[in-house]
Amino acid sequence: MSEIEVVDLKKNFGNIEALKGISFSVGRGETLALLGPNGAGKTTTIKILTGLILKYEGRVFYRGRLFYPYDRRIKSLIGMVPQHNNLDKELTVYQNLKLHGLLFGLSGKDLEIRIDAVLDMAGMREHKARKADYLSGGMKRRLVIARALLHEPEILFLDEPTVGLDPAVRRSLWDFVVRLRTEGKTVILTTHYIEEADMLSDRVVIMDRGRIVAEGSPKELKGSLGRFVLEVHTPQGIKEEFFSSREEAIAMAKEFSFPVRVREVNLEDVFLRYTGRRIEV
Amino acid sequence: MKGVLAVYYREIVNFKNRWLKVWSASIIYPILFLLAFGYGIGREAKVAGVGYVRFLIPGLIAISSMNQAYGVSLEVHISRYYYRLFDEYLIAPIARWEIVVGEMLYGITKGLVPTAVLLGYSLVSKLGYNVTPSFFMFLLLHLCCFSLLGFIVAMVVRSHADQAAFSTFVMTPMLFLSDTFYPIEKMPFFVRPLGYISPLTYSTKLIRASLLGYEVSKAYSVMLVVITLLLFWGALWVARRAEG
Ligand SMILES: Nc1ncnc2c1ncn2[C@@H]1O[C@H](COP(=O)(O)OP(=O)(O)OP(=O)(O)O)[C@@H](O)[C@H]1O
Ligand SMILES: [Mg+2]
Repeated sequence: MSEIEVVDLKKNFGNIEALKGISFSVGRGETLALLGPNGAGKTTTIKILTGLILKYEGRVFYRGRLFYPYDRRIKSLIGMVPQHNNLDKELTVYQNLKLHGLLFGLSGKDLEIRIDAVLDMAGMREHKARKADYLSGGMKRRLVIARALLHEPEILFLDEPTVGLDPAVRRSLWDFVVRLRTEGKTVILTTHYIEEADMLSDRVVIMDRGRIVAEGSPKELKGSLGRFVLEVHTPQGIKEEFFSSREEAIAMAKEFSFPVRVREVNLEDVFLRYTGRRIEV
Repeated sequence: MKGVLAVYYREIVNFKNRWLKVWSASIIYPILFLLAFGYGIGREAKVAGVGYVRFLIPGLIAISSMNQAYGVSLEVHISRYYYRLFDEYLIAPIARWEIVVGEMLYGITKGLVPTAVLLGYSLVSKLGYNVTPSFFMFLLLHLCCFSLLGFIVAMVVRSHADQAAFSTFVMTPMLFLSDTFYPIEKMPFFVRPLGYISPLTYSTKLIRASLLGYEVSKAYSVMLVVITLLLFWGALWVARRAEG
C-alpha cells in the first residue's frame, strides 16, 4: 500500500485552472520531488494534501484511507514546511516551537525534550530565546523546518525548502533533507531547482501548468533521453542532440562548424523535451 | 481541548509582550470618558434616578471591556494575513471550534483588565456597587459576544482599511447608541431602533442593573444569550470555512 495516493486532483481558482487532474503516489520512506516552473500547481497540490484547501475535485488517500481536510488522525502524521515562512515574529524561537508542540498535542516534559532535540538538529540551541524576527533568512528557514519535525511526523511536506537562500545555506539544508531520508521519513518536496530534485529525490514528478508531464526516478527520466547532450550553438539558438555515450556525442560534434558543448543530461533537458520550454527563466 | 490551550498560549504570550499598552489603554480610555462626561456634566446631575457618575461607570466598564475583547480581531488579522501563522492552526490536528474558543478566552482575559481597573476605581470612590455572580455572568456573556464578533470580522474582512471602516461605521456608533452614556429611552425615537439592534445595549443594561442592584430584565438576558449563541455559531461557520 502506498503512503499517499492522489487520484485525479483538480482545482480552480475562479477561472484559473491550477490543477487539471493530476494523479501520483508516494511510497513509504520515499522522497518525491514535485518539479515545475512558477504556477505549475506545486503549492496548490501540497495545500490540498495538508488540508489547507477545502474545496477540490479528486481524492487523496493516506495509507489507503480517504483523506478529508478535517481528518485529525491523518493530520497528526503530517509535518509541513510552507513556501513562505509563517513564524510568529513577536514570539521567540522557543515560543514558536512550543506553540507548534501544543497544537500537535505535546506538553510538559515531552515537549521540552522535543524542543531541545529539534533545536540541536537545526544547530540553533543558542538562539532559543531570540525573537524569531531577529533571525537571519537561513535561520528562519531552519526554524520552520525544525518546527515541522517537532511532533515527529512520518510524512513531511517541504514546499520550496531552499528558495531565496544563498548557495551555502542551501547546501546545508540539503544535508538536512538527506538525513530525513535516512531516518525513513516519507518526504514530498517541491522545487524549481533542477539540481535539488536530482540530488534529493528518489522519484520526480514533473509538473507544468497544472498537469504532470513526466514521472520517474531522476535516472530513468534522464536515461529516457540519453546520457549525454551535444549542444550546438547556432545563430538561431541552441540545438540539442542526445547520445548514450560521450564518444558518440564528440564524434557528432565534429560535424558542426558552430561552437559546441558536450555535457551530461539533466532534468532541465527532460522538462524541455516534454514542454518545449525551460524551467528556469 | 489541547487546541484551545495552544491558541490561548500564543495570544497570552503576545498579551504579555504588550501588557503596557493593554493596561494603559484600560486606564486612560475610561478616565477620558469619565472626565469628559461624568465630571464634566457634574456630580449632581441625576440620570434614571441615580447620580450620573454612578450611572456612567457600568457603561464605561461595558465599552472599555468591549474594546479590549473586540481587539481580538487585530490579533487574528495579524496571525492570518500578516504572519500566516493561522495556517499552523489549520494543518494541526485540532478542531476548528478549538480555535474559536481559544481566541474567545483571550478576548475575555483582555476584557477583564479594564473591568478590574474600573471596579477598583469605584471601590476607592465608594460608589457602592453590588459585585454579584450575576454581574460576572453578564460580563462574561458580554466579553464572549465581542471577542466572537472581533474574530468573525478578522476572518471575513480581508483588508486593514475595511477593518478600520467597520470600526468607524459600526463599533464607534454602537459605543454611543447603546445605553452607555445615557438611557436609550432618552434618545430620539428614530435612532432608538439602532440601539435595540446593538448587542451592547443589552449587555450594558444588564451589567448596570446588576451593579446597581436593580431587578434585571429577563427579556434582555435572553436576548444577550441568543446574540452570544448566534455569534458563536457565526464564528464557527467562518472558522470551518477558513482555507490557507
Ligand atoms: N489563492 C489563490 N487565488 C487565485 N489563484 C491562485 C491562488 N493560489 C494559486 N493560484 C494560481 O494557481 C496557479 C498555481 O499556483 P501554485 O502556487 O500552486 O504554483 P506553484 O507551482 O507553487 O508556483 P511557484 O513556483 O510560483 O510557487 C497559479 O496560476 C496561481 O496564480
Ligand atoms: Mg509554490
